[in-house]
Amino acid sequence: MFVYEKKLQYPVRIQNPNPALAKFIISQYGGPDGELGASIRYLSQRYSMPYPELRAILTDIGTEELGHLEMVGTILHQLTRNMSVEDVKAAGLEAYFVDHTAGVYAQAASGFPYSAASFAVKGDVIADLTEDMGAEQKARVTYDNILRMSDDPDVIDVIRFLREREVVHFQRFGEPLQPA
Amino acid sequence: MACKVNESCTYKEGPLPSCAPLAVGTIPVQTSAEPVYNREEALEKGTLFPGLDLPFMDYVATGMMESGPKAELMALDFVAHELALYLDTHPDDAEAFETWKSFTALAEEGRRRYVDLYGPVTKGDTAQFDSWKWACCPWPWEYTKNGGNG
Repeated sequence: MFVYEKKLQYPVRIQNPNPALAKFIISQYGGPDGELGASIRYLSQRYSMPYPELRAILTDIGTEELGHLEMVGTILHQLTRNMSVEDVKAAGLEAYFVDHTAGVYAQAASGFPYSAASFAVKGDVIADLTEDMGAEQKARVTYDNILRMSDDPDVIDVIRFLREREVVHFQRFGEPLQPA
Repeated sequence: MACKVNESCTYKEGPLPSCAPLAVGTIPVQTSAEPVYNREEALEKGTLFPGLDLPFMDYVATGMMESGPKAELMALDFVAHELALYLDTHPDDAEAFETWKSFTALAEEGRRRYVDLYGPVTKGDTAQFDSWKWACCPWPWEYTKNGGNG
């Protein structure tokens, strides 16, 4: 089971609300390569994983990804705090606002709701680990793209941290795939 | 043809067999849990290991990390977690296991210091207070001007 720790893995403190940034950062909450998909993908792959060490790495990285989901949710919440209707309109956030107000909802930047189709569980050790390496690279590129489009130092600092975690996870998922 | 493993890799490299089966994706194994960043640097950079520190363009850590008991606890927990992931794929590295044990003990001390000052991190921590402090504020996602708890 899981025990909640009432703290983030890395500090998130966005001084200036900016709903326009939340419009695309939301993809790392509920998009195809986001943290929700990552956590559920790894935690679900554990059941058919034949080796104890691999069950450990899936458990530990999957749990860390739940923490990253909370960090991305925190960024979205802080970017959209105290919004006026004028702020919503200026940021072009009307479509989201009418459906979810300032709630944090799992969807892609395109507006497509979180799809379970994006988390892959094949039940095969080679297929699943190779999938996970690809998933880490796709998340890494999504963070690259968010960095390219962000101009707020408080946001950039956290995204940079989350991106680096994808690099470390890629390494850890790859290490077990060694020739005997 | 006999396969040879290159043993002379630096901390930014890992050994690969000079020949390996086709159609298996193989990436180099990290040779050692050394060298490492110090705990504050590790948290800020997002990895304990300089060999895995591969930032995007010039988006690098600024060295402006906040300090205080919360940042201290985050750094200790981060190093312990990073070493745990390393140990998952290097379970026989006794030296890394000893380092992990010492960081886990330090993180426990750090958590006690933080809880005394700012309130519970886990529900169990609430038992040391005289009321149900768990539900009290702030929650981790709340914006606080001074960075909140510590």
